[in-house]
Amino acid sequence: MRRDLAHIGEQALIDRLLAGDPVAKELLYDRYAGALYGVAIQLVPVRSRADDVIVRVFTWAIQHIGSYRTSGFQTLFSWLLRKTREFAIKEAIPENTLAGTELVKNEEGVLKRFYVCLPTSEQQVFRLCYLKGLSITTIARMMGTSEGQVNEILKVAMIAFRKFLSDNWN
Amino acid sequence: MELKTYIESGIIESYVLGLISDVEAEEFQLMRKLYPELDTEVEVVERRIEKAAFDEAVLPPVQIKERVLQSFRWEAGGGGFAGEVPPNYTFINIQPKDNDQIMVHKYWRIFFIFIVLLAKILLFFSIFYFLKYAQIKDQRTGFNIQHHSIQHVEPHASTENIFLS
Repeated sequence: MRRDLAHIGEQALIDRLLAGDPVAKELLYDRYAGALYGVAIQLVPVRSRADDVIVRVFTWAIQHIGSYRTSGFQTLFSWLLRKTREFAIKEAIPENTLAGTELVKNEEGVLKRFYVCLPTSEQQVFRLCYLKGLSITTIARMMGTSEGQVNEILKVAMIAFRKFLSDNWN
Repeated sequence: MELKTYIESGIIESYVLGLISDVEAEEFQLMRKLYPELDTEVEVVERRIEKAAFDEAVLPPVQIKERVLQSFRWEAGGGGFAGEVPPNYTFINIQPKDNDQIMVHKYWRIFFIFIVLLAKILLFFSIFYFLKYAQIKDQRTGFNIQHHSIQHVEPHASTENIFLS
C-alpha cells in the first residue's frame, strides 16, 4: 500500500473507491478489518465463520460502494458494521450444536460488556434481537409476551446503550 | 425540546444498530428531513460506536487479507495481482454468491408436499393393484391346472366304472 494514502480522509477514500482504485480497496481493508473482525467474533464465535463474514463484507462493500451515499449512514464504518451483522446472522450456528473447541474467547467484547449490565428481560431481548437477528414477533412468542412489551423493553435497552456509549466513548 | 426527547429515546442507536422497525425507519427519515441537525446526532452516535469497535479491534488472520484482495482482483476482472502479467491459469471462484440461490413463494412448499403425497398415493395404488392382478392371475392359473387335471381324470374314472359294472 502506498504510504501517502495511509492518512487520507473518509470522503477521499470513498471517492477513490468509486473510481475503482485498487490501492484504496486495500486501504479500506487495512483501516476497518480489525474493528469489524472484533465485532464479527462476538456475533459469530466460530473463527472460520467470522473469517468468512469479513471476506464477504469487504467483497460486498467494493461491489456496492456506490450505494453508500444514499444509505443514510454518516460514516463508512457504520455502513460496513450493518453489513457485518447481517452476514454474521446468516453465518450463525445454533449454540447447542457447537462442540466448544471451535469457539473464540469473546467474553470481553464491548457488546457483552454492555448487555451483562442490563436487567434480565432487557438482556434477553437485546441478545435475541441484535446478536441472533430475531424479529420482534418471534421474540414476543418466545418470551410469551406481547410485541408491544418487547418493543418497550428494547427501547429501554437502547436508552441504556446510548448511556453506555456516551459514558465510555464521549 | 421535543427533538431532544426523540434523540434521547435511543432511536438513533436503534437505527445505527439496525434494530429499528420499518415504520420507525420511515418516521426517522422524515424527522431527518425536518430536522437536519439529527444528521449531526447520527454521526455522533456512529463515531462513538466506531471508537468502541476500534478500541476492541482484533487483527484478522493474514490469509483473510489475501482472500479479500483476491476477491477484489476478481471484481476487477483481472484474476491476478495488480500490475503483474496475468498468469496462464484459470481461477474457479468458490465463494458463495447471492445469485446462486433463488427465493420462491411459500405456497410452493404446500404444492411440493401435495405432489409428494399424490406420488405416494399413486405408488400405493399401483403396488396394490399389481398384487391384486398377480393374485387373480395365480388363481386363474390354479383353476386352469385343476380343470385340466379333472379332464384327464374323468375318462379314466369312466373306465373304472365299466370295470366295476
